[in-house]
Amino acid sequence: MTNTMILSWVTFLYFGAFVFYLFRLVFGKEFWGKAAFCAVLGGLGGHTLGLLLRWKESYALGIGHAPLSNFYESLIFFAWAVVMLYVIVEWRIKNRSLGVFVLPVAFLLMAFASLAPNISDRIQPLVPALQSNWLTSHVVTCFMGYAAFTVAFAIGIMFFLRNISLFSFIPEADVLDELIYQHAVLGFVFLTLGIMTGSVWAHYAWGSYWSWDPKETWSLITWLIYAVMLHARYVRGWKGKRMAVLAIIGFAAVLFTYLGVNYLPGLHSYLQS
Amino acid sequence: MTKQKNPFWSFFTSVYLTITLLVFTVVMSVVGTFIPQQDAAREFVQAIPPGLASFLQTMQAFDLFHSVWFFLIMLFLSLNLIVCSLNRWPLTWKQFRGAPLSGEDDLFRGLSPERVFLCDEDVGTMTGRMEGFLGRKYRKIGKTQEKEDAVIICGEKGRYSRFAVYVVHLSVQLLILGALMGAYWGWEGYVNIGEGETADAIDLKGGKGSKALPFTIRCDKFMVAFYENGAPKTYRSDLTFLKDGKTIYQGPLLVNHPVSLEGIRVYQASYGSSPDGRASLAFSRGGKEGKLIKLGPGESFSLPEKAGTVQIVRLEENLMQMGPAVKIMVRSGQGEVSFWIFQHIDKIREMNPGVTEQVPMFNPATFKPYLFVLKGIEERYYTGLQVSRDPGAPLVAAAAVLMMVGLIGTFFSSHRRIWIKIQRLEEKTKISVAARTNKHPVVLDREVRQLTEQIKVSLEKGST
Repeated sequence: MTNTMILSWVTFLYFGAFVFYLFRLVFGKEFWGKAAFCAVLGGLGGHTLGLLLRWKESYALGIGHAPLSNFYESLIFFAWAVVMLYVIVEWRIKNRSLGVFVLPVAFLLMAFASLAPNISDRIQPLVPALQSNWLTSHVVTCFMGYAAFTVAFAIGIMFFLRNISLFSFIPEADVLDELIYQHAVLGFVFLTLGIMTGSVWAHYAWGSYWSWDPKETWSLITWLIYAVMLHARYVRGWKGKRMAVLAIIGFAAVLFTYLGVNYLPGLHSYLQS
Repeated sequence: MTKQKNPFWSFFTSVYLTITLLVFTVVMSVVGTFIPQQDAAREFVQAIPPGLASFLQTMQAFDLFHSVWFFLIMLFLSLNLIVCSLNRWPLTWKQFRGAPLSGEDDLFRGLSPERVFLCDEDVGTMTGRMEGFLGRKYRKIGKTQEKEDAVIICGEKGRYSRFAVYVVHLSVQLLILGALMGAYWGWEGYVNIGEGETADAIDLKGGKGSKALPFTIRCDKFMVAFYENGAPKTYRSDLTFLKDGKTIYQGPLLVNHPVSLEGIRVYQASYGSSPDGRASLAFSRGGKEGKLIKLGPGESFSLPEKAGTVQIVRLEENLMQMGPAVKIMVRSGQGEVSFWIFQHIDKIREMNPGVTEQVPMFNPATFKPYLFVLKGIEERYYTGLQVSRDPGAPLVAAAAVLMMVGLIGTFFSSHRRIWIKIQRLEEKTKISVAARTNKHPVVLDREVRQLTEQIKVSLEKGST
């Protein structure tokens, strides 16, 4: 299938971008930064094309659904959303230092999707429970949320590395703090929407808008962690290091919500294949 | 305020209490995903020491999300929210209604140089021009003549966003209320209905007995379709809902498309096949095939010319790995004889030559001169329906909408005010720009920068 071929090229572009960002760091030449950003843009373009093509191919197969229905497709979309947000951040803050931290995440997601032995990259037809108009809105909002939390996590890591001389180009603490906050907010709003669309869907598919299924419960846990983070900032004025720590804890909860709960029994079993 | 001395009040106004309660909720939720809950707990209880099991049972650890603990946390969180909101409300109201300049004496003190300009024009001209700039993005709310030669104009944006956080917290209250309504007045259960059968009661979830429905459900037909790769494609039940013998609704039920009647929702949840299918049987005499007869187990039919009666004794979907088969008993003047009829008899003969001679029980021509043929066994399905009622759901939906509105107001809007003071100082006119916001200072800084840029450009233009 053409789409999986394009997507594996995208994986290499992201890896290339990561290496270029690393060169920029080591040699201090802006040339590498520009090369890296070109690779990111090329990768994102190919990524978008690959997703659209996969969508089109599913129609050609007579299955016809948005490429958001299994573990492989969710990983690919997750990586797409992360890179998309990264491009916006780099363009907004005019600082390329974040790339060294975000691009490897995107690369790993893509590589995991295509290399892990038990993940099928085939376009599969939808089982009855997934045949819903809420599928697309639920998956898109959830993964936009996850992607924003991933960026917040990467900036949180940067916060702790900024005093190391190799990373001297990292923006000052205030800028990082503001970026962590903005991405936590973005992620929080998208996660809220994701939980809501999921609830509406569950109301139509499972007979209850909330069943305390492990994935539901863990999404609530993630939501509460970020709620605590935002309250701590608004009411107690937490900034800097504490926010960075919470961004990292929050991301751990995101990872568990996404991957960890698959090892617990529950209703969200589509991801196991 | 006397309120604050009340220990009850001050306990519930603490943000640490909120954070503690949220952390409790998180911890309890984590535990709830690792200890099997409700129906899943039954197996788990068998596998752990009985002492531990009964301890956990007493602690309501197998239904944590409906336990007293969880209820108490929600109750405290709810009280905490109400008290905090009431506590902060007077201040918010004052700020919302607040006069644009009250209590802001030091507003223009310590301004950064980019926010102060000097020019030659008089106060009147500059006031008009400043009002124009401010009015592009901000709503004008005030103009005060301070002294004879000093004017302060004020503009604002996002005044109503001060209420956004209350909207979010109200939505959380409604959410908890809706969930409680669902827990007390709602119910959920399952019922299996075979094709052609009816049901007017369901088994409640968690073994809490059964519940009568205000109507009768009849399953007319169940269908399951598969994709080429074997994955299920469609589960569909054709249902008829009856009340006092009259049809009140008739239609298909599919996954993701529940049927809602009298506040009760019916979902396609599962299916299965009943052991009592129907055999499609034909018989021939001297090469002349008779018509197809469909029979369930125990049913019988008569052969023409009173040659005998045939009864279906057993029906097997897969007998000894040789496919569908029925055992029939033929009663005639010669006595009783029973034997098996396989659907795939030709193939069985091919693979085991002479089998029907060696095992007469497997010979479809045992009752001469008739030859029986099994055309197939029609499976009889039952449909598994989930039936539930949740009177709290509309409230929860309203809460969700309210929460989204509130969150957008909280995170993407703020009450920003900008004051511009235009005053005459001997030879020059001084313009100072001051600003305040209740949150998101970055956004305000950006807007003030845009404004001061405009002022700067216009002054440079004016002076050349």
